Amino acid sequence: MSSVPVLELRGISKEFPGVKALDEVSFAIDAGEVHMLVGENGAGKSTLMKILCGAYRADRGSFFHKGQEVAMHGPADARKFGVAVIFQEFTLVPYLDIAQNIFLGREFSSALPGLIDRSRIHAEAKRVLDSIGFDIDPRTPVHKLGVAQQQMVEIAKALSQNARILVMDEPTAALSDRETELLFAMIERLKRDGVGIIYISHRLSEVFALGDRITVLRDGRRIASLLPGETTPDKLVTLMVGREVDATYTRPDRPLPGKVVLEVKNLSATTGFSDVSLTVRAGEIVGLCGLVGSGRTEVARAIFGADRASAGEIRLNGEPIGSSPEDSVRRAVALIPESRKAQGLALARSVGDNIVLAGLRKLFPSRIYIPRRATKAARSVIDKLRIATPSPRRPVSALSGGNQQKVVIGKWLNANAQFYIFDEPTRGIDVGAKAEIFRLIDNLVHNGAGVLMISSEQIEIVHICDRAYVMRAGRIAGELSRDELTEANIVRLGMHQ
Amino acid sequence: MSTTAIPRSARNRFAMSGDVMQMLYRVLALLLLGAVLTALSDVFFTTGNILNVLRQAALLFLMASGLTLVILTAGLDLSIGANVALSGCFAASVIKLTGSPWLGAGVGIGCGAAIGMANGVLVTALRIPSFVATYGMMWILTGVTYYYMGGETIHGFPPGFRQLGSGHLFGIPVPVYVMFVFLAIGVFFAQRTIWGQQIYAIGANPVAARLSGVPVERRLILVYVVSGAMAGLASLIVLARINSAQGDIGEELTLPAIAAVLVGGTSLFGGSGTVGGTLIGALLLTLVLNGMNLLQINSSWQPLATGIIILLAVWIDTRTRRIGE
Amino acid sequence: MTPQALTRARLTRVPGVAVALILLCVVFAAANPGFASPANIANILTQSTILLMLALPMTLIIMTEGLDLSIGAVLTLASIALAMTAISTGSPALGLLAALGVGACFGLANGVLVAVFDIPPFITTLGTLGIAQGLSLVVTDGQSVVGIPRSIELIYSGSLAGIPYAILFAALAYLVTHVLLYRTRFGTYVFALGGNREALKVAGISVRGMLIRVYMFGGLMAGFAALLLTARLNSAHPTAGIGMEFDSIAAIAVGGTSFERGNGWLFGTLLGVVTIGVLRNGLNLMAVPSSTQVACIGALVILALFIDGLRGEA
Repeated sequence: MSSVPVLELRGISKEFPGVKALDEVSFAIDAGEVHMLVGENGAGKSTLMKILCGAYRADRGSFFHKGQEVAMHGPADARKFGVAVIFQEFTLVPYLDIAQNIFLGREFSSALPGLIDRSRIHAEAKRVLDSIGFDIDPRTPVHKLGVAQQQMVEIAKALSQNARILVMDEPTAALSDRETELLFAMIERLKRDGVGIIYISHRLSEVFALGDRITVLRDGRRIASLLPGETTPDKLVTLMVGREVDATYTRPDRPLPGKVVLEVKNLSATTGFSDVSLTVRAGEIVGLCGLVGSGRTEVARAIFGADRASAGEIRLNGEPIGSSPEDSVRRAVALIPESRKAQGLALARSVGDNIVLAGLRKLFPSRIYIPRRATKAARSVIDKLRIATPSPRRPVSALSGGNQQKVVIGKWLNANAQFYIFDEPTRGIDVGAKAEIFRLIDNLVHNGAGVLMISSEQIEIVHICDRAYVMRAGRIAGELSRDELTEANIVRLGMHQ
Repeated sequence: MSTTAIPRSARNRFAMSGDVMQMLYRVLALLLLGAVLTALSDVFFTTGNILNVLRQAALLFLMASGLTLVILTAGLDLSIGANVALSGCFAASVIKLTGSPWLGAGVGIGCGAAIGMANGVLVTALRIPSFVATYGMMWILTGVTYYYMGGETIHGFPPGFRQLGSGHLFGIPVPVYVMFVFLAIGVFFAQRTIWGQQIYAIGANPVAARLSGVPVERRLILVYVVSGAMAGLASLIVLARINSAQGDIGEELTLPAIAAVLVGGTSLFGGSGTVGGTLIGALLLTLVLNGMNLLQINSSWQPLATGIIILLAVWIDTRTRRIGE
Repeated sequence: MTPQALTRARLTRVPGVAVALILLCVVFAAANPGFASPANIANILTQSTILLMLALPMTLIIMTEGLDLSIGAVLTLASIALAMTAISTGSPALGLLAALGVGACFGLANGVLVAVFDIPPFITTLGTLGIAQGLSLVVTDGQSVVGIPRSIELIYSGSLAGIPYAILFAALAYLVTHVLLYRTRFGTYVFALGGNREALKVAGISVRGMLIRVYMFGGLMAGFAALLLTARLNSAHPTAGIGMEFDSIAAIAVGGTSFERGNGWLFGTLLGVVTIGVLRNGLNLMAVPSSTQVACIGALVILALFIDGLRGEA
């Protein structure tokens, strides 16, 4: 291992409208080291990753390759310095074989004009696969491979393009223990070959097992760079999580919760969770936390009836529910989905049209649609939620993220919903609008509704919820009462130990 | 931005939506085309020709009105022409057999609706893309029709029935009255019922519609049934007009019907468009075809012209989408 | 996975189409003794050659998640162009060039409309179908074009060492398409167009260029097929190729190529074409009218798509 890092970033800053993603971050990677990058969701890890591979340009800062200052303007530069990122969405063609995928766009020509030399492609591919210890026939079609194996093909693809720095984003997220072992063995080989690896992970066991160095990001800043021997998992969690309390939202006193509104027992579904049980009472905000991929959205969808459950029961006010979204809406259940543009709004339609959609049956029992009544109902929601739009006729695509989210929530006020499921309600919304959304949710429970809230921002859960369930790998890892509800506890329960 | 700062009069100005402007442009185009044709041909602006145009446009509109609902959901129904053939032939047989035009009409519309139901099931339950399902259905229907008719023709319907296609009321062809009736029904359904609102929502974003409690599958089947039933209705008018039925009637109506809907402003990608627009589209298209006839252009050019019009309309649609995004 | 396992896995696809084929043969042979005669079998194969030449490029187009509804109409127009050029110049070679020219033009138009103007393939090719059909009618005034030079007619009726020229042509077309799809960069990228276009973009390959080339391939093959069609009919007729696009899509669907994800099986298309050929021949022998035959084929396609859906094409 040389003393000069292969790649070094100094003072990198990157801003997006309304949000400072990275603030004077410095980072270095040596040849043959595994450098762990940890931090909560939104800490800046993926932004840093995108800057490393040239997908984003830094606003400020400098880059050094083997000690020399260089320019990093785009993906071509990143490739020049041997940086390759293994993303979560693979760029593999399902019905081509491994070798063809590795050499896509760089096929070897055969002696005959226009034809490619298949045997050479296969032989070269075998060489690359062997070099990472992946023993498989390169003629295997990619669609037959499991996720772990596809990931290895991606890695082989990167190496065949002479990558000297690999950036891996949660590579073990979809892997079994056995596959993880294989991945680690491969990483050892890469280290020996002098390849530097930047490894993003939420799994503390991996961080300590594999990492040569650990860098903690928080709110776009580099908080610390440590050796594994200098710290413990608990200290690491504290570094990741500790921050000033956000004073713009104060939790009001809430009346004691009423009777049980939602009861879920031993619910399982093939979409990705099993044996989930939880309850929500009227007037309560219950949080559902856990890492991305732990099954929270899937549970919410099953409760709402958007996906089929394979086992267990769901009861609303004692009666079974969850057969279809239509039924749930009739029973006064609301879902504010994860992705408001893709799942919550009809972007081409007006604000008013979107607001009345869920409540059409309630507003117009005769099934005759009267525009005047619809506009009135829409205006009343617009005023109540203070949605910033000059008219209900405006296409909803013209609104800001925060206002769009208010429209999604407002949709349910007309449907007289009594139970709300929120999935990441403040994602992509700036600080000012966030507080407003919280107040809105407060109002809902104040009027007797029950709320189940999914959020990846632990601080939100701690502030707004009365209690919370934490999910991990498709199961409930634990329940936290009001007193136990702290960010550290959530993070600890949610991560693999 | 707060809502209270903007005065009421300004709000009304915002309320003059893009839809109305689009309609205005199309009516202008219609008038322009009419003017051009009047200049190019002496025969155009005569009573006989205008009535003919209206009659043709009415038939086209009836075909296209149901199709509009299908396209609003981002689907397509390529089987309507073949639907006219089969429903028309069945209706014709029943009229000849029982002597009752009413029974025949019932069978015709019922058959059309049943075909629509089959399309709907293919699209929702079997999840076959609508253009593939209705394309296959088109061929199946053609085959069944030819088999049923065996190459023969049925002619001679009761004079009362024939009034539907070739009769006049106060000098205006009967089909035009039928057109107005269904224009009213269509506009009412699309703009003044919650089902219409749900259909627009499905076209704009079927996932969001479903998660808002809209019974998406049921509504999709509904639009295909309506499209089929309207084809059945159109077949009656064709029968009444030509006073006969054979295996290939209605064949030439599919492309123009699609063109009428697209030219009328309904987007192929779903979620926007109106039945009223389709009426204007039907008139525009009929004028173009009529104009070609009057100018003695070989009728074989007509499918070609229709094809080009469709491509143009889709291209404009794609561009507008791009700008709007 | 070992090569042996791969072959075994691939063979599990065969039963689907082959079973259907064998079943149909058995049923028709039972219903009509003349079906299984060598002469009739030769007939089936010869009749299927034109369809094969259309279905081969269509397979590639469908693999890119596209569709070419105009190929039948382009075939017709190309055959008319071939006939008229051959008659007026006396040279069959020039006729073939004219046919290829027509095919290339429409292929280019389709490709550009889909790749550059972003118009969905089925609408694009529906439009070009109308245009090609319209042109066919206009140019011939609805009449057949007769008086084809004898040399062209021989292409269909003649044979080499007992094998009809037509079958040799089709075999050559199959060979060329096979090599193109499995042994050239072009073919590799066709898989990517349907399976994961991002992969091509990341590799720096022009997606637009590829799409245009795929549709042009279709047009050119239609041009070649026009030679066989004109030879078979010994004339060119404006409605000759109508419906062949439907048969080709049916053959591909029955043969197992799915409509998404870049999954294509050329041999399956071949089997599918023969299956359709057998179906039509058998129904002909039973004196079932042509349009009803189409209804049967339609039903077969829906069945095939349904089974595909059940099997959960992965």
